[in-house]
Amino acid sequence: MPKVTINDRTVEVEPGTNLVEAAAKVGVQVPHYCYHPRLSIVGQCRMCMVEVEMNGRKMPKLQAGCSTPVADGMVVRTDTPEVHEAQKGMMEFLLINHPLDCPICDQAGECGLQDYSFKHGVAYSRFEFEDKRTYPGRERIPLGANVLLNMNRCIQCTRCVRFTQEIAGTSEIGFFNRGSHAEIGVFPGRELNNPLATCVVDVCPVGALTSTRFRFAERVFNLDKKPSICTGCDAGCNITIEHRRGKIRRYKPRTNPEVNDFWMCDDGRASWEKYRDRPRLTSPRVKDRATTWKEALDAVYSRVRSRSAEGATAILGSGQLTTEEAYLFGQLANQIGTPHRSVAVDPFPERRIPNPQGGVIGREAAPNRRGAELAGLAERAGAFTADELLNGDAASRCATLVVTDGDFGAAAWDEAAVARLREASFLIVFSWADSPLTRAADIALPIATHAEKDGSFVNSQHRAQRFRAAFPAPGQVRGGVEVLSDLLARFDSEWAGLSPAAVFDRMAGEVPELIGLTFGALPPTGLELPQVFAAAGAEG
Amino acid sequence: MAFEKTLTQNVGNPDALTVAGYKKNGGYTALEAALKMEPEAITQAVKDSGLRGRGGAGFPAGLKWSFIPKIDKPKYLVCNADESEPGTFKDRLLMEYDPHQLIEGCAICCRAVGANTTYIYIRGEYTKAARILEDAIREAYQAGILGDSVMGSGWKLDMYVHMGAGAYICGEETGMLESLEGKRGQPRVKPPFPAVVGAFGCPTVINNVETLCNVPHILNRGAAWFKAIGTDERNTGPKLYAVSGHVERPGTYELPIGVSFDELLEVCGGMYQGGTLKAFIPGGASAPILKASESHLKMDFDTLAKAGSMLGSAAVIVMDETTCMVRAAARLAKFFAHESCGQCTPCREGTNWMELILHRIEAGHGHPNDADLLYSVSKNVGGNSLCALGDAAIGPVRSLVEKFRDEIEQHIRERACPVPHRRYFAAAA
Amino acid sequence: MSATAEQTASPAELAVATLPDSAKAEIAEIRKRYPTAQAALLPALHIAQRNFDGWLAEPVIAAVAAELDLPVSTVYGVVTFYDLYHLKPVGRHRIRVCNNLSCQLRGAEEILEAMREELGVGEDEVTDDGRCSYIHFECLGSCDTAPMMMVDDDYHENLTPTSAREIVRGLK
Repeated sequence: MPKVTINDRTVEVEPGTNLVEAAAKVGVQVPHYCYHPRLSIVGQCRMCMVEVEMNGRKMPKLQAGCSTPVADGMVVRTDTPEVHEAQKGMMEFLLINHPLDCPICDQAGECGLQDYSFKHGVAYSRFEFEDKRTYPGRERIPLGANVLLNMNRCIQCTRCVRFTQEIAGTSEIGFFNRGSHAEIGVFPGRELNNPLATCVVDVCPVGALTSTRFRFAERVFNLDKKPSICTGCDAGCNITIEHRRGKIRRYKPRTNPEVNDFWMCDDGRASWEKYRDRPRLTSPRVKDRATTWKEALDAVYSRVRSRSAEGATAILGSGQLTTEEAYLFGQLANQIGTPHRSVAVDPFPERRIPNPQGGVIGREAAPNRRGAELAGLAERAGAFTADELLNGDAASRCATLVVTDGDFGAAAWDEAAVARLREASFLIVFSWADSPLTRAADIALPIATHAEKDGSFVNSQHRAQRFRAAFPAPGQVRGGVEVLSDLLARFDSEWAGLSPAAVFDRMAGEVPELIGLTFGALPPTGLELPQVFAAAGAEG
Repeated sequence: MAFEKTLTQNVGNPDALTVAGYKKNGGYTALEAALKMEPEAITQAVKDSGLRGRGGAGFPAGLKWSFIPKIDKPKYLVCNADESEPGTFKDRLLMEYDPHQLIEGCAICCRAVGANTTYIYIRGEYTKAARILEDAIREAYQAGILGDSVMGSGWKLDMYVHMGAGAYICGEETGMLESLEGKRGQPRVKPPFPAVVGAFGCPTVINNVETLCNVPHILNRGAAWFKAIGTDERNTGPKLYAVSGHVERPGTYELPIGVSFDELLEVCGGMYQGGTLKAFIPGGASAPILKASESHLKMDFDTLAKAGSMLGSAAVIVMDETTCMVRAAARLAKFFAHESCGQCTPCREGTNWMELILHRIEAGHGHPNDADLLYSVSKNVGGNSLCALGDAAIGPVRSLVEKFRDEIEQHIRERACPVPHRRYFAAAA
Repeated sequence: MSATAEQTASPAELAVATLPDSAKAEIAEIRKRYPTAQAALLPALHIAQRNFDGWLAEPVIAAVAAELDLPVSTVYGVVTFYDLYHLKPVGRHRIRVCNNLSCQLRGAEEILEAMREELGVGEDEVTDDGRCSYIHFECLGSCDTAPMMMVDDDYHENLTPTSAREIVRGLK
C-alpha cells in the first residue's frame, strides 16, 4: 500500500485514497466544502489546496487534496504559507457575495463558512462595491415540503445536486446558469420530494438549504446532542437526538457505514414530533385515578399472579419495546405461565437508506420487532396472535390483557380497535403517551420514551444497536426495565434492581443469538446477530 | 516573406471541397500510406516531427497519442474545433476551405491510436463550417474513405460532426468531453486524464483542427521536412497566425513557426492607417499582453513563454496608440467572467470581481489601490482554479498591471479614461 | 407536521410539449451516433429550438428530457449553460453582433449603436413586429473581417454602420 507523508507524519493508506482522507488518518484536517466521502469528487470549492512533493520535486502549483490520489512516497504539506494564502483567498471569494445574515440564519453555529472564516479567513472585505450579487426572489424558495433554499447563501459546492443524482437517484436538484450567475434549483414546477430529501440540508455546508421543520426552532448552539437510534422504522438509522432541556428539536443522521451511512429519511426525521404533539402519560393510574407506582404495581401483581377462571392472560407486545423490556415482558409471561404473547407492528411503506453495501431496508413502523421476538415475545403455536387480539375476538376471551406499549401502532389511537382490546376483562397498559388505549385501561403505567432510557434494538439487518438516554424522563415517568424489574421482584427478589445493561447481560446468557455478548461491549456501530432460528414464521 | 504553403494550399481552391478535387493535390495519399504502416510507426513519425498542439497548450501531439493505452475498450478521437479563443479564426478557415485535409488527419490519428470513431466538436456558431464538413464527410463515406472499410483496408472508421452550443469553456478538453456527452461543459478534475478515461469513460485523444491538418503532410513529406521549419527542435513546422485588430490586412497567415512579430506585422501590411504600435497579444485573449518594445520576439512556444506570455492559439491582436489598455483588458475580463463555467470558486468569483474592478477604473471610479487589488485578486485566481480558464483569465489582467500600471493610475487620478474613445466610422448621413 | 403557507403551493402537473414526429425522427437518427442517450442532448436541443420558434420554453425542455429519458433538471442545467439556447422568445431573425476585442478595435460599438437605432429596441428584446432581436456576442471567430455580425446562420463581415443597417432592413 502507498505510503504518504503528511506534515511530517507518514501513513500507509489504500491505493486511490485522496489526500483529504489520508490527512484525516493522521489527524490533519484539510478544510473543504464540496468534498463529501460519499459523493463524486468535483474539486470545485478549492479549499483543500495542499502542497505536494513527489520524488523530491515540488509540484509547481498547489493541488486540490480531494482530487489528488496518494502515490507512494508523496510528501504533502497542509501548513505552508502558500497553502494558508490560498485558503484565505478562497474564503475571501466565497464571502464577497455572501450575506451577513448569520443572526437570522439557522445554520449559524454549524456553518462551514463561519468555522473556516474564523480559522482561515480575514476580518475585513476588500470587495467594495455597492451591491453584492443577490438572487432577488430566491431567498426563501421551498424546494419541496421539507427544504428551503436561500440562494444568496449558496457557495455553489453542488453537494445537494450530487446527492439527489448519486444517492437519492431522483435528480430533482440541478446546477443552472454559468459563471458568477451559477445557481442550484429545481426545474420550474418540479419539487424536491424524495424520501431522503432533507439529507440535502445535512450535506449543505452553509445556510443555503435549511429544514422547513427546524426553521427558527432553535439556535443550534443551544442544542444538546446525544447519539441514539431512530424509531421511525426497522431500518435502525443511527441518529443524534438534538434537544434543549428534554424538548427534542430535531433528529440528525449519525454516520454508520454499516447501516444508514450518512443518511436518514424524512419520515424518520419527523418521527419525534409525536412526542411534541401527543398527550403524555405522566403518572400511574388505576381505574382513572392517579396513584403511586407502588400501588399501581401492587395492583398489577395481584391481578396477574393467579390464574383466573374468567379466561387467559395475554401479553400484547410492541416493536417499540427495547429488547431488554421485551425480555422482561417475556419473563413476566413465564412467571404467569401464559403462552399468549405476541408483537404488534404496523407495516411501513418500504424504504431503502443507501449505504456502501447497497442499503438498509425499512418495512415496519417500529424499530424492534425482531429484538422483541428473540427476547421472548415471539408468538407461540396455538396461542393468541397479535392479529387475533387486534382484529378478532381474542381479547374478549382474556381475563387480563397486558399491552406493553400504549403507542404500539395506529390501533392504539383507533376507537374501534381500542374497543376490541377493551373486551378483555382487565386491561393493563404501559405507555409513554396518554392514548385512547391508556384512557380505556384499568391500569395505565407511564413509561419513558426511547429518548429517555437505555436499551437496544435489533434492526432489519438483525443488527443489535445500543443507545443511551438522551435526557431524563419527566416527573413520575420511569424506564420500562426499571418498572418491570420492580414488578418481577414481586414474584422473585432476584429480579430486583436491574438496569437495562444488566438485563441485556442476563439475556445474553439465555438467548442463543446474543450468547457471549455484553451490553457494554456492543460496538458503537452495532453488531449483526447470527440468525440462530432463521425463524420462517417470525420473519413472515 | 516567401514561404510555401501546405496547410492552406487549398484555400481559394473550391475544387478541394470534393474528394476528387482534394485528391488532385495529393489528398488521401497519406491515409493510404498510413493504412499500410504499423500504428506505432505513424505515432513515431508525428513524434519525430516535433509537432506540438496548435490549440493553445502546445503539448507534443505524438506523445499525446502514445498515452493511449492498448486496452480492449473503444477509443475515440475528439477533434477540437471549438475555436473560441478571442482573436482566433484559423481553424474555421481550414474547415471551410479544406475539409478533407482535416478528415484525412483525423483518420490517420485514429489509425495510429486504434480509435474507430471521431467526433469533430465544432462550436455551435460555425454553422457554415459544420455544413461543409458534414458534406465532405458524407462524400468521404460514399467514396469508401470512411465507413466499414476505410479505403478497402477492412478497418472501420466513423466520423461525426458534433455541434456545440455556445460556451468557450468547451474548448478545454475535459469541458469538451462533458459537452460531447450532453452535459454542462464543466471541466473535469484530473487525474484521470482523457487518454485513459476520456469520452464515455474510454481512452480518448483530443487534438486541435490545425494540429490534425498537419498530420497528412508529415506523413507525405516526412518528419525531417517538418522539423526543418521553425525556430529550433522544440518549435517546428508551419504555423497559422490569425492576425486582427489594428493592422492593414488582418487575416490568417501561414508562416514558419517562430517568425517574429515585426516580420508578421510587415506581412500584414503594417499598422492600420499608419498608426503606431502600442501593444499586442500574441496568442489569443488568454495570452498576457506584450508591449511595442517586445515586437522583436519570435512567435513560438518557448520564446513567448520565456517572455511571460504564450503562443497559445497564435491569434495575434494588434493595438495602436489610440487604444485604451484598461478598456481592452476590461473587455477581455468581461469575456472570461461571462465564460467561466461557475463550478470552481476562484474562477467563478474572481473573474467577475476583476471585471468589476476594471470597469470601475475605466469609468473613472477607480479606488487608489485598485492596481494592487487587481493583482492580488488575480494571484488568488491563478494556480488555484480547477482548469486552465482561471489562469487564462488573469493573463490580460496581470500583464495590464505589470506593463501598463501608469495607465491604470492615470485613470484613477484623473477620474476618467484619458484615452478618447475612437470612432471608426463617419457619422451616418 | 403541518405545512406552512409558503410551502403548500402544490405546482400543477408539469406541462410537456409534443415534439413533431420529424424532430423525433431526427433525434432518433442522431442518437445512433453515440454510446449514450445523453450525448444526443445538445443536438436534440438544437432541433427542438428550430421547431419551436427559436427558443426553448419549459414544456419544450421537458419534452426533450422525456424524449431522451433524462432528468429534467439535468436538461435545464444544460440549456442554461450554453449561450445558443434561449429561454425566452427571440425575433424571427437573431442578430449577434460580435464586440470582443478584435471587433471592438475596429468599431463594433458603432455597429451595436446602429442596431439599437435601426431596431428601436434594447438588446435581447424583440421588435414589435417579431422580426428581429439582437445581442452583443463574444468572439465569433471572424476577427480578420471585423466588425462583423451573425444573422441567423450567416456571417456578415467588414461591416459599417450603414451596411449593417441595410442588412437588417433586408430581413423579412
